[in-house]
Amino acid sequence: MKNIVIGRYIPGNSFLYRMDPRTKIIALIVLMVAVFMIPREAFEMMFVGLGLILILLLIGKISIKRVYLGLRPLMFLLLFTFVFQILFNKTGPELQAWTLNYSFLNIAVIVAIVVFWMYTKRFIKAKFIYLILMIIAIITVLNQLTLGPIFATRQLVVHEDALMIGFFIMMRLIIIVTLSTVLTLSTKPTDLNLGLEAVMKPLKYLRINTEEMAMIISISLRYIPTLLDEANKIMLAQASRGVDFSEGKLKDKVMQIISLLVPMFIISFKRSDELANAMEARCFVPGATRTRLHQLFWSRLDTISLVTSIIILIGSIAVRVVT
Amino acid sequence: MDIIQMKNVSFEYQQDQPVLENINLNIKKGEWLTILGHNGSGKSTLSKLLIGLLKPNQGEIIVDNILLSRETIQDVRKHIGIVFQNPDNQFVGVTVRDDIAFGLENLQVPRNEMVERIEKYAHKVNMAEFLNKEPHNLSGGQKQRVAIAGILAMQTDIIIFDEATSMLDPKGRKMILEYMKQLNAEGVTIITITHDMKESVLSDRIVVLKNGKILKIDTATNVLKDQETLEKSNLEMLLPLKVLRYLERENIADEKVRSYLWQLSLKR
Ligand SMILES: Nc1ncnc2c1ncn2[C@@H]1O[C@H](COP(=O)(O)OP(=O)(O)OP(=O)(O)O)[C@@H](O)[C@H]1O
Ligand SMILES: [Mg+2]
Repeated sequence: MKNIVIGRYIPGNSFLYRMDPRTKIIALIVLMVAVFMIPREAFEMMFVGLGLILILLLIGKISIKRVYLGLRPLMFLLLFTFVFQILFNKTGPELQAWTLNYSFLNIAVIVAIVVFWMYTKRFIKAKFIYLILMIIAIITVLNQLTLGPIFATRQLVVHEDALMIGFFIMMRLIIIVTLSTVLTLSTKPTDLNLGLEAVMKPLKYLRINTEEMAMIISISLRYIPTLLDEANKIMLAQASRGVDFSEGKLKDKVMQIISLLVPMFIISFKRSDELANAMEARCFVPGATRTRLHQLFWSRLDTISLVTSIIILIGSIAVRVVT
Repeated sequence: MDIIQMKNVSFEYQQDQPVLENINLNIKKGEWLTILGHNGSGKSTLSKLLIGLLKPNQGEIIVDNILLSRETIQDVRKHIGIVFQNPDNQFVGVTVRDDIAFGLENLQVPRNEMVERIEKYAHKVNMAEFLNKEPHNLSGGQKQRVAIAGILAMQTDIIIFDEATSMLDPKGRKMILEYMKQLNAEGVTIITITHDMKESVLSDRIVVLKNGKILKIDTATNVLKDQETLEKSNLEMLLPLKVLRYLERENIADEKVRSYLWQLSLKR
């Protein structure tokens, strides 16, 4: 339950906090397009992007540690894209080739390494690095250990394009996730919601009721902590009746989840019924015009920020045209 | 003048299972009325009829001279506010400020006035310093005070409290009762729904409901000493009055004891 902290608003004071949420959302979209505009051939431009992001974090007084926490869940995805590229991308000049020898001894050693990794990883803090170390160890074993009968050999060839594209995709993901993290870190959920509502206003012409959607989002925001509390209470209640939520086989796990979900559903329905009554009693009519307490104000800072991000977009379009 | 009139009102959720039958009830402007009844006697149903969350199967309801109907529901709701039992399930806003604003936004109150009213009524329920707090950081009593501020800000002239104190501790309960007294003194018509005799002592009149029918409507004093009615509707008599009854039966009650015991039970 504690993981939900990621992507949450952290109070602070910098120009990012003073910006209108509409600006931040539009700028995020503009910058994302800019990142996607950069072609593979100009992958060095990604360093420029990374530099700009660092400057943004620095003058926006956003702690790099927070951003790293936001990136952490992505690490395995990043590793996966990288490994995928190395295994399957065979274009461009060869950089390095390893011969991989498969023998019974090798396989036995690899199994031992994997088992060792599985049992020790819970004691290691840097799990991601530990995983990479394990992969390197396996490749080294396959490459170096040639004792006993070898029944197959394969070549592991790393091509330049694989490295380049792996790196390119990785940078793209990192930049996009960092930008989104900056948005959620520096914007209160209510403001974010207001901003989204304003930005999506044109959807009205597609007969999508954006105000109602904003209301739904704000009520969800309001009830997430309450429902989490409730889930905790139910888990405690079930635990006191002998349900063990930490251990068990798949079948037990499914039963545990059902024992949590069923009461959650029933309680949520009762809750939403009472909430709907309370809202109606306070003169809420879905779709009716309402005045708003929160109003957004556009300032010069917003114009400057928006212009800056559009200049960056134009820059990356220029790079694309040139290459 | 009667601010609320219920004429021959009947209601059923499912066919042939009447929850309220032939309710005739007039509530005077500025009055404090208690609706007393056992669990499932139809108290909440009655309050939902009054604010148009449910539609009577029979009879008519008139609030502030407006006949309640599909067309007038929104007008009527501008005159009646209701505080429900569960403080968590009526907190709409993400923060205290947003929650008090919710009703005002619906009434299309201009923003400047909204800000003023939020300040004023947050002060009134002693929640001014919590305006930026989120509901999960508040106690049940504090959330209930926010709910009250939300209704007060809408400046309705009738407020219903449907067991609004039943989930609170004694301190929170006392505070809410204080607000009720204050509001009533300021001229707001108050309807409290409860099965707590101590709360009903404060009101001007008591309506006793049993199985969806009105058993008795009378002044608080008269209802409180009417053991027959109370017993019939599964309600407990207040302890001092029980003692008084015993003393009277045994013929050992003198005038001094009698007035003292009455004073104990009617202490406001
Ligand atoms: N939504 C519903 N659908 C069907 N029956 C209902 C519904 N709500 C209440 N009832 C029934 O109507 C009757 C009166 O309910 P109501 O909630 O008005 O009682 P109450 O006097 O407020 O009780 P309590 O003191 O428990 O709050 C009960 O028998 C209840 O089971
Ligand atoms: Mg009830």
